[in-house]
Amino acid sequence: MAEYNVRFASHPEPIGVPAGTLLVDAAREASIEVQQPCGGQGRCGRCAVQVDSGAVRRRSVLRLSPADVEAGFALACQTVVEGDVSITVPPPEVIERRLVTDHIAPEAALPDGYDAAESQSIRRVELQLTPPSMDDQTDDWGRLCTALRQATGIEHMETSLEQIRGLGPILRNSDWHVALTFDRGRNGSPRLIRVQPAAEALEAPLCGLAIDVGTTTVSVWLVDLLTGNVTRQASQYNQQIARGEDVISRIIYASKGDGGSELRDLVVGTINEMVDTMCARAKIEPADIVKATVSGNSTMMHLLLGIPPESIRLEPFITPINHLPRVPASEVGIAMNRDGVVDPLPGVASYVGADITAGVFASGLRESPDTTLFIDVGTNGEIVFGSSEWMVTCACSAGPAFEGAGVIHGMRANTGAIEEVWIDGSTHEPSLRVIGNAAPRGICGSGLIALIAEMFLTGVLDKAGNINQTLETPRVRRGLHGAEYVVAWAEEAEGNEDIVITRVDIDNLLRAKAAIYAGFKVLADRVGVPLEMAEHVLIGGSFGKYINVEKAIDIGLLPDMAWDRFEFLGNTSVKGAYLALIDQAVRDEIASIASDMTYIELSADNSFYEAFTSALFLPHTDLSLFPSVEAAMT
Amino acid sequence: MSIEIPVDKWPGTVNTVTLGATEADGGTRAKVVTIGGEQSLPFMHFETEMPHSPVIALEMTPSRTDDWSQILLDAWGDVVEDPARWAAAIEAAGADVIVVTFGLTDPAGDPITPDYAVSTVKAVLEASGLPLVVLGPGQADVDNELIVPVADSTKGERLVLGLCEDGNYRTIVASAMANDHLVVGRTPMDVNLAKQLNILMTDMGLPLDRIVMDPTTGGLGYGIEYGYSVMERLRLAALQGDAMTQLPMLVTPGYEAWRTKEAKVGEGVPETWGDWADRGVHWETLTAVSLVEAGADVVVLRHPESLKRVREAIDELMTAAPA
Repeated sequence: MAEYNVRFASHPEPIGVPAGTLLVDAAREASIEVQQPCGGQGRCGRCAVQVDSGAVRRRSVLRLSPADVEAGFALACQTVVEGDVSITVPPPEVIERRLVTDHIAPEAALPDGYDAAESQSIRRVELQLTPPSMDDQTDDWGRLCTALRQATGIEHMETSLEQIRGLGPILRNSDWHVALTFDRGRNGSPRLIRVQPAAEALEAPLCGLAIDVGTTTVSVWLVDLLTGNVTRQASQYNQQIARGEDVISRIIYASKGDGGSELRDLVVGTINEMVDTMCARAKIEPADIVKATVSGNSTMMHLLLGIPPESIRLEPFITPINHLPRVPASEVGIAMNRDGVVDPLPGVASYVGADITAGVFASGLRESPDTTLFIDVGTNGEIVFGSSEWMVTCACSAGPAFEGAGVIHGMRANTGAIEEVWIDGSTHEPSLRVIGNAAPRGICGSGLIALIAEMFLTGVLDKAGNINQTLETPRVRRGLHGAEYVVAWAEEAEGNEDIVITRVDIDNLLRAKAAIYAGFKVLADRVGVPLEMAEHVLIGGSFGKYINVEKAIDIGLLPDMAWDRFEFLGNTSVKGAYLALIDQAVRDEIASIASDMTYIELSADNSFYEAFTSALFLPHTDLSLFPSVEAAMT
Repeated sequence: MSIEIPVDKWPGTVNTVTLGATEADGGTRAKVVTIGGEQSLPFMHFETEMPHSPVIALEMTPSRTDDWSQILLDAWGDVVEDPARWAAAIEAAGADVIVVTFGLTDPAGDPITPDYAVSTVKAVLEASGLPLVVLGPGQADVDNELIVPVADSTKGERLVLGLCEDGNYRTIVASAMANDHLVVGRTPMDVNLAKQLNILMTDMGLPLDRIVMDPTTGGLGYGIEYGYSVMERLRLAALQGDAMTQLPMLVTPGYEAWRTKEAKVGEGVPETWGDWADRGVHWETLTAVSLVEAGADVVVLRHPESLKRVREAIDELMTAAPA
């Protein structure tokens, strides 16, 4: 048999191997380490190497895009030598980045040419008032209004009694030289937020909050309104979780006794905890925060504002209010300037709230004529299908599993969360990637998707999600909750127990993915546009920084399409709230999005249950919908 | 005036499955039963011939009969105390298939043992030449514990073993594969769940012609319309060519009918309900005949009189000539 030379960039001498030798085997002879977390099955893509020159044959290019192959990449475990070749083995971190780059959520950035003063509803103006005298007997408030009118042309301004009470001393102590912060309002008259001595105001920060109140996760961004930049980001579990995991149980809780005000206190408390921490770290006072734009699903909005949400749950599922007015902060209870404004973004219907209208804006779906599928994966999965011309939307209850709740070792995407998993097809041993390269503490949403996909493709799970207990591996065992798979042993994990995934967890995850996929299916069927027509699939939600699209397709969460059609956007709800906070025009656009969407109520649709049970399988009862998974399984 | 009856041509065919094996085929059965093969909806003889008539099984239990209606016990008499004699009586009554359903305990009330299960099944095989369906009590661990030794000790008989369910099918399917038996999978009245279990079982390598499915039904007045509709939809999917729904269907109208209040209770009911025994048999017969019309290939009954009536109905349906 012909013998060829394989030259590795990092190795001085070429290695002589027979034709047909796998690149991994050649590398091993040269003592070069090539990662193979999937056990050399060509599934994980982490053994990608660059073929600089020479003839090779790629048996499989799964995980490599056509562009990758064009650039000379090949999977070392699937590629054989057919001539003298030169190979570069890239450092692991390069491979890692290449594999996930396309799927990492972009950071929030200011729009091009953004002008803070022009775009925002908040304005701060410096005013030099004429001091009163025996000849000029105008009252303090009138004097302030006159100065404002002269400086800005604004005729009327609303204020609170509290502002009036503090006004006299401020004016006199500042030598009648003050800075006025006010909200321009949308259609009505402006509202005074703060009067400060001008000297003090020049130094003072001017801040806003973008808040996304999710059923499971609450996110808060602190924004410097002087520049429009995001200065801090925080998110944590909604403290209401202890009173029910989904919106329905929260609504029921709210309708009993003081449940409503208790839930309100809990969510306000969740927000304020984060705001307090951010204020301390950013060295600002809550009074410096003058505006909060809030997004969230309809139930969460109602609970936050203390509006009884009961009718959301009952047929015909009507919200008390979709287009909420802006309200004074003191009435909401958020830790910010009491006279600041809280601007709740508008929703569409009971189960399609401001999180979606804000998300649609943030996703850019409205700006493109291309047919686009936008999905926000949270405790409720909301789906929008459409383009700049039309939009239909629906919501399905997915449960909190993809946010790491309702799963025994689930957690949010923080340091210590397992976010990517590969399982060796022959030993069933997992390899993990953990956020922050820390010891694993739990598994976040993207990790759970990867875990289920890998367990399925390596035969640890059957198509119904049953753990195959006949496998010869200590990883599969019977635990307190039935069969389980050990993802990390206690000694590798930070805690004193093994990190496992149980049959119950898997059922929760399968139900969540089935609900979301069924939503896609029913929505597409209802408008008569096949899912494959979607040119872009935009994914928002609380998946942390990324989601492995391939693995999400493997488990049947996302429709089987070319990977380059998918884009991961991160938390689009808070992003939309942020953009609305810093730009009035965006706020108006979100209102028009809310009015333009056609809402489809799935509970009134018999086909949903059918679509749901057929999706309650890996990847789906109808395997022909997932040809790439079918190919990967054989 | 002549009316042209529209004739549907379907692309799919229901699998043909043979229950039991004669000596020539490695078993001991005097008679085997072949079901399935339909190419159109039930009894649409003007479209295609129905190659095999629906068959009737009678059910017996080698366990305590506490939950069997007194009417049934009276009808069978003292044979219920001896599985072999009960099996012989079932064959004498004219059944096509015998279903042996184990409960959790033996007649003495002690937990059932694998040895008891094996000896009982062997005694039944000895006493009757009919094909057998052998079902565990429906509790995963006990089912596996009983069915595996039964399968091992009756290799080649082409027994139908069950119940396979989505969370518990591996063990039974594996032992059926190893011993040339068949399996029956039960799913709770849902087209997709039925299809999914069939996929799981065939994924293990069991050929489709060795599986029958029980899509679960309800008794008359207790959800039969739901069960009927699921069976009808499964059959329509099968005829449209969906391989994972092309399995013959086995349903248990006997069990379902005899647990209804109308069949079970003789006292303290309105007089207008009529004679208790009659009522029970009517209930079972009507449930079973409805399911035959929905596409059932095997109906499992409990009362010998119901068997006669359902047989009569099937015979009529099978011979009904096109107008």
